[in-house]
Amino acid sequence: MSNDTADIQVTKTKARMARERKRAMVAYSFIAPNFLGFAIFTLGPIILAFVMAFTEWDGSNPMKFVGIKNFTELFKNDRFTASLENTLKYSLFTVPLTLVCALALAILLNQKIKGRTFFRTVTFFPYVASLVAVAAVWNMLFTPGKGGLMNQLLMNVFHVAPLKWAASPNTVMLTIILFSIWKNMGYYMVIYLAGLQGISEDLYEAASLDGANSWQKFLYVTLPQLKPTTFFVSVMLTISCFKIYDIVYMLAGGSNGVVNKSAIVLVFYIYEEAFRNWKLGSASAAALILFAIVLVITLIQFRGEKNYAND
Amino acid sequence: MSSKTVNRRISKTVIYILLFVLSVIMLVPFVWMVTASLKLNKDIFIIPYTWFGFEPRWQNYIDIWTKIPLAKYAANTVKLTIIVTILQILTSSFAAYAFAKLNFRGRNILFLAYIATIAVPWQVYMVPQFIFMRKLGLADTHLAIIILQAFSAFGVFLMRQFYEGIPDSLCEAARIDGMSEYRIYAKIMLPLSKPALSTLVIFTFVNTWNDFLGPLIYLTTDSKKTLQIGIKMFISQYSAEYGLIMAASVLSLIPVLVVFMALQKYFVAGITTGAVKG
Amino acid sequence: MKKRLLSTLIATTMIAASLSACAGSAAPAAEAPAAEAPAAEAPAEEAKTSEEAPAEEAPAEEAAGDEAVTLKWALWDKDATVYYQPLIDGYTAAHPNVTIEMVDLGSTDYQTVLGTQLSGSDASFDVVTIKDVPGLVTLANKGVLEPLDELIAKDGIDLSVYSGITDQIKVNDTLYELPFRRDIWVLYYNKDVFDKAGVEYPTNDMTWEEYDEIARKLTDTTPGAEVYGAHYHTWRSTVQLLGVLDGKHSIIDGSYDFTKPYYDMVLAQQADGVCMDYATLKTQGLHYSAAFYQGNIGMMNMGSWFIPTLIEKVKDGEAAAAANWGIVKYPHAEGVEPGSTLATITALAIPTSAPNKDAAWDFVKFVSGSEGADIMAGTGNTPAMSSEAINSKIAEMDGFPTDANSKDALTAANAYLEMPANEKSSEIETVLNEQHDAIMNEISTVDEGIAAMNEGVSAILGQ
Repeated sequence: MSNDTADIQVTKTKARMARERKRAMVAYSFIAPNFLGFAIFTLGPIILAFVMAFTEWDGSNPMKFVGIKNFTELFKNDRFTASLENTLKYSLFTVPLTLVCALALAILLNQKIKGRTFFRTVTFFPYVASLVAVAAVWNMLFTPGKGGLMNQLLMNVFHVAPLKWAASPNTVMLTIILFSIWKNMGYYMVIYLAGLQGISEDLYEAASLDGANSWQKFLYVTLPQLKPTTFFVSVMLTISCFKIYDIVYMLAGGSNGVVNKSAIVLVFYIYEEAFRNWKLGSASAAALILFAIVLVITLIQFRGEKNYAND
Repeated sequence: MSSKTVNRRISKTVIYILLFVLSVIMLVPFVWMVTASLKLNKDIFIIPYTWFGFEPRWQNYIDIWTKIPLAKYAANTVKLTIIVTILQILTSSFAAYAFAKLNFRGRNILFLAYIATIAVPWQVYMVPQFIFMRKLGLADTHLAIIILQAFSAFGVFLMRQFYEGIPDSLCEAARIDGMSEYRIYAKIMLPLSKPALSTLVIFTFVNTWNDFLGPLIYLTTDSKKTLQIGIKMFISQYSAEYGLIMAASVLSLIPVLVVFMALQKYFVAGITTGAVKG
Repeated sequence: MKKRLLSTLIATTMIAASLSACAGSAAPAAEAPAAEAPAAEAPAEEAKTSEEAPAEEAPAEEAAGDEAVTLKWALWDKDATVYYQPLIDGYTAAHPNVTIEMVDLGSTDYQTVLGTQLSGSDASFDVVTIKDVPGLVTLANKGVLEPLDELIAKDGIDLSVYSGITDQIKVNDTLYELPFRRDIWVLYYNKDVFDKAGVEYPTNDMTWEEYDEIARKLTDTTPGAEVYGAHYHTWRSTVQLLGVLDGKHSIIDGSYDFTKPYYDMVLAQQADGVCMDYATLKTQGLHYSAAFYQGNIGMMNMGSWFIPTLIEKVKDGEAAAAANWGIVKYPHAEGVEPGSTLATITALAIPTSAPNKDAAWDFVKFVSGSEGADIMAGTGNTPAMSSEAINSKIAEMDGFPTDANSKDALTAANAYLEMPANEKSSEIETVLNEQHDAIMNEISTVDEGIAAMNEGVSAILGQ
């Protein structure tokens, strides 16, 4: 924005305007290949989905415009409000915790250590391994009975009563949060690892000359330099947390795939509305609410990034 | 000096212990997959789980090829994954350059719109998108999957964030030298962004490789189906052959790991150092 | 400034949209010239074109007699299901001009994929398999299935052979599907477990009290060598639906107090180690077949679909520990006729968008009729049309238990659908599943759970 204002103050000669136009054309030419494909096949249907939020539609019969009825109905539905609450709760814990774990891992695995390739691959593993396998191992550790490893630990080391983990409404979200951090931190570690490569050695050298210790180097060189990466990671993490679905299905769904109010999340609710009840309008309305929340959070994060850029 | 070496040695030891514990935690699912892939279905979900000392059932690794046309499915998946990854890399890095290094009207809004759409769950626009694709005659084609996967906003976002970290002065210098934007992109930015490109390749590869719902909805002809659909075929209405599922999953994991290990070597520092000096 | 940015964006989108519209009309599959938002227009046009469709496609339909026709049949588990190919072979032998192409949409997400495929107008399936009643109801409400009543009347099909099932699957008083497979619930038992405990085998005439008593006699809670008298899979049907077998209640009543005795019985068994703990079973994800193959389960209530699988697994050795199995009829409540049980059906329907409706109807008639039933029974699966002859055919199969009780167990005196058709089937099901889970997990007491079901379902029915 600041560039635009500055431009206005300068008297624009014709030559300059032509040059600007040319520059814009160049910029658009860069964006066009991706954007056209994106706009036609993804953005179009998304905009349509937002229109659908104000209609009743089952995918076959003609659409019926119903105004904001879908939204008012949603907030009357306690399954929806439970899903909204659970999603918020889940994201609030998962986003910061995963981010910190991923960054710590990346810094650890960015050092010159033997077997680095092996360790990096291993960390990425739970993300790519079959969800069935990951969930099975998890369920073994977190079995609700007394046989599970975690419950053994709780009873014998901490001397507290065993928990029912995913089987109890009080601990099911905790179980899902822990699981999701474990499964996904390797993914975000990879992004941080790539980001760390962009930091110039010179900056560290300069900091060393100023007598900075490792912690200070981390605070005053690594963290600020990683800001674009952190922006990316936090936005993607927020989005993926708000879109969590398969983990909940796996851990709390059971054989009939029904998730209780204690664990239902937004996208699960959306899926139910869309494909069990074929209420596409109501599903879209729920998605629009999800979209609005994520947009607000992203805007705040975007501001944060811009502030840094202007520093 | 010597106390420093001792310190360093202690911290190294601590790091290795940490890494060891970590690897064990991270590797358990893989060990589970491998052991489960060598068991009879009925023995897999039994607690306590037998990790070793059972008779391996190699037959599972033979059955997966005969019970479903796994080779055909794998070939389809390879084809789709390679095409999608190439397209994604080209178009995303291209667009990201404009978002990061060029000033133009609507840049921020367009960019935010890109990011925000990632937040919309696919389940919501899947049906209109499918009807639309079918109108274009793209139902039951590989092209549909390619189109859906190749133009994602994710890649643009990732690349743009990496380019943001490269100093603007570098581009300015090149512009003064009379280089066109296309040449700056090709000669300066692309070579500099190997870590980010590697990341994008890894992620796109993994996503396309493991994509299930997209191919499931779009691909109905047997000969066009993909690996992940094939693996799910072992779960039928009345039984689930988890031994076979795990055998196929272990095999399908190999390419992913190879790609990861091959590309993670580009996660090495020193690139920007050279750039700043230049 | 901001306005301009926005207008640029909108302009770009519009260009994109119109571009796509051009592409749309250029493509051969597109029927109508698409406007700015082709997908949005689609449903409206669907309605028009689908009405005209029969007239336009009349030539293709006349061909049903002798000209070559290809029918596309949507189904799941193409390779794992033994009767699809015999049914097709049986039909095409008599109708050499017809080719039937199976389209496998996968088992786990079948309903989602089918619903999506049938959205819009240009779906190309001629015959679709319907997996369950909520699935039928959603598709019928979407208006994508052909009503069959007229065709049935025209061809004089006798629905009484389906022993009342067809009355339970009417949506808005219209029949949209014909069942070709009907599975009833029976009680599987492991004779070795009974022999070891010295308990007499169950019979075809047991009350639930007698059943509970036997289950307890079989149970051994020694850690590491547990024997479970009974096993209940985590589905709500294994416990909740026992209540509807008296014929006085239905699962879409809106009042569920009748489920209480059964929840009380199973929860008491769970507490005493007579059956495995629900919470563990659910997190562990143990399949009922794997549980039964362990050989430490006395009795398990399950559908007759398990029979062919069990026979196969006994043969290949995986189920060696359960090789001496048998089945008996479901236990019954005091004063209720023995042999009342639950049923699920699999049925065929014809989409409104089907290109070859006449040929499709002919095929549907064949599969759900007596010839199809005979082929089904030959593969060890229970057809919707039940008769003494068909039950004998199944019982004669190699690997089926040889005792007389097992054969008799295949005959049901009364069969109630797990979920009869109701406009709100799928929403009701969500409430019932949720409360079943809460009760079995002992998060809610039985009374609380039932109260929540009554309240939740009444609210849905009242809408």
